[in-house]
Amino acid sequence: MSNPNFLNELVEEASVHTQPLRKRRLGFLFWLCVGWIALNILGAIFANLLPLINPLFQNYNVVNAGPSLHHLLGTDDLGRDIFSRIVFGSRVSIEVSLGAMLIGFGIGAPLGMLAAYRRGTFDAVLSTVMYVFLAFPAIIATIAVLSFWTPRSLLKIIVVVGIAAIPLVYRVIRGATLNFATRDFVVAAKVQGATDRRILMKELLPNVAPIGVSFLLVGIATVVTLEGALAFLGLSVNPPTPSWGNMINESLANLQVNPWLAIFPSAAMCLFLLSLNFIGDRLRSHYDISEIKL
Amino acid sequence: MSDDTLLVVKDLHTTFDTPRGPLAAVGGVSFELGQNETLGIVGESGSGKTVLSRTIMGLQPRKNVEVTGSVRLNGFEVVGASEKEKRTIWGLEVAMVFQDPMTSLNPVLRVGKQIDEILRVRLGMSKADAKARAIELLELVGIPSPTERYRVYPGELSGGMRQRVVIATALAGSPKLLMADEPTTGLDVTIQAQILNLLDGLKTKMQMSVVLVTHDLGVVATRTSRIIVMYAGRIVETGSTRDVFAHHRMPYTRALLEGSPKVSNPSHTRLLAIPGRPPNLLDLPKGCAFAPRCAFATDQCREERPELEAADEPGHTFACWNPLPVTEGVPA
Repeated sequence: MSNPNFLNELVEEASVHTQPLRKRRLGFLFWLCVGWIALNILGAIFANLLPLINPLFQNYNVVNAGPSLHHLLGTDDLGRDIFSRIVFGSRVSIEVSLGAMLIGFGIGAPLGMLAAYRRGTFDAVLSTVMYVFLAFPAIIATIAVLSFWTPRSLLKIIVVVGIAAIPLVYRVIRGATLNFATRDFVVAAKVQGATDRRILMKELLPNVAPIGVSFLLVGIATVVTLEGALAFLGLSVNPPTPSWGNMINESLANLQVNPWLAIFPSAAMCLFLLSLNFIGDRLRSHYDISEIKL
Repeated sequence: MSDDTLLVVKDLHTTFDTPRGPLAAVGGVSFELGQNETLGIVGESGSGKTVLSRTIMGLQPRKNVEVTGSVRLNGFEVVGASEKEKRTIWGLEVAMVFQDPMTSLNPVLRVGKQIDEILRVRLGMSKADAKARAIELLELVGIPSPTERYRVYPGELSGGMRQRVVIATALAGSPKLLMADEPTTGLDVTIQAQILNLLDGLKTKMQMSVVLVTHDLGVVATRTSRIIVMYAGRIVETGSTRDVFAHHRMPYTRALLEGSPKVSNPSHTRLLAIPGRPPNLLDLPKGCAFAPRCAFATDQCREERPELEAADEPGHTFACWNPLPVTEGVPA
């Protein structure tokens, strides 16, 4: 080694030119899914303004008709337009899922983060309570409560499903936060003089957020199915208000005469769920900076 | 206590309350540290050096720990201060460099933002000023093209670069005391030297004192002015780096020195390992904690605990009943 600095320079050089993260793309399929979800949500919001046939209007001249130019997805046994019922039905699904997740995350996520950060008695008491709630199967509990809490309304469904989601969200967020709260960067922030609130919001939240978002998307999908199951049992919004779930429920009576009645709302729900799951999965792997090289 | 004393530690005890009884991780440590001085704290794993450095910082778990004694940092009493009070000195008076640069940076925040944070929140700088200062700091710690590096994530940097960033964040508040707890343990040997030289240079530039905690005597040999050798939570020998290396009196210090490789040794020289294991802190021997592993131990060593006594050189003390003869000392 004639020049001792040579080695150092080489080492410097190597570490400086560490490749920056390759710009990874989200891909066509991701944007397709986002577009589909956006279309569904916009449709739900602006359903009244769209040139749709009244979803409650019963046209007895065309009963159990297949897809046609006038009725894009056909009509049901009462002559109501399936397409417009699916668009209006998405309102219930989307309102219930977003509302329930708002409650679930609004309460579950802050509690989960706080418990994981503070540990100790606060965590022990809260976690015990949450685990007791988790011990009840959520779907049975929701069915039981909704059966007795009459008259049913959209708000009641949202509240019940939302409360059922709290312990699930709590557990996921607490686990995710715990993983980061014990790392040195939290101590490092602390000895820089950061307050607890600052550590939670600025240091831990950005780490937990990607996990939270993908769980949120999975959660929305789960609630959509849950609402479907409730509607199927007649525990969701009252007919004739359409929802994807009660459309599938009503279709069963005419399954042999008109299978379209079951296929179209099922397909609408299926595509919605699939898109959400795919978006969640893609986002998680895309924004998982933390696990790339650490 | 002279005017330029920055840190005074007096009879510091850190005791953990464990299910199997009290565990004295730090058992009565006293020392002083002057301005612009570098102090090395050396000891085996489990000798209490990390707990000592965290206690000086005022970082303890919320419960099951009892701290007595006094840590006076530039006039601020750390022991017994609330978190809120300690937040006034953290970052601005004292900062810390951690052992593992992989976990001491937030993986999802850009490097620059992590330095900005303290500048904006604690020093009240504007966004633009903070950014300019952060880039300056990155340059100061030897990160090439700092303007570009300001925007990268920690995952895009190598271990040595990350440790430089950690140092930059620690320096952001211009602290008077920098605690470096094994700052090079997680790094390659070539990078270790770079980081240590960097710390050395920054000490002069930033006018601060440094406490270097390590198990590696090679790390402290040329970069510290004084060394504290710890064993089982106590100081067993302390003095100027020169004295500790050349005129050590405590057999444990010698054992540590003989356990480190030296370039002057002929090749294939066996390193001397210290027989036995560090003592169980829950069940310390009655006398000298090192006695069970010491070749010179006598009945007195096993029965009575030696206190620190002065050696011939000023500022050099050791705790041993049967010190090594003065003349015996391997020059470093």
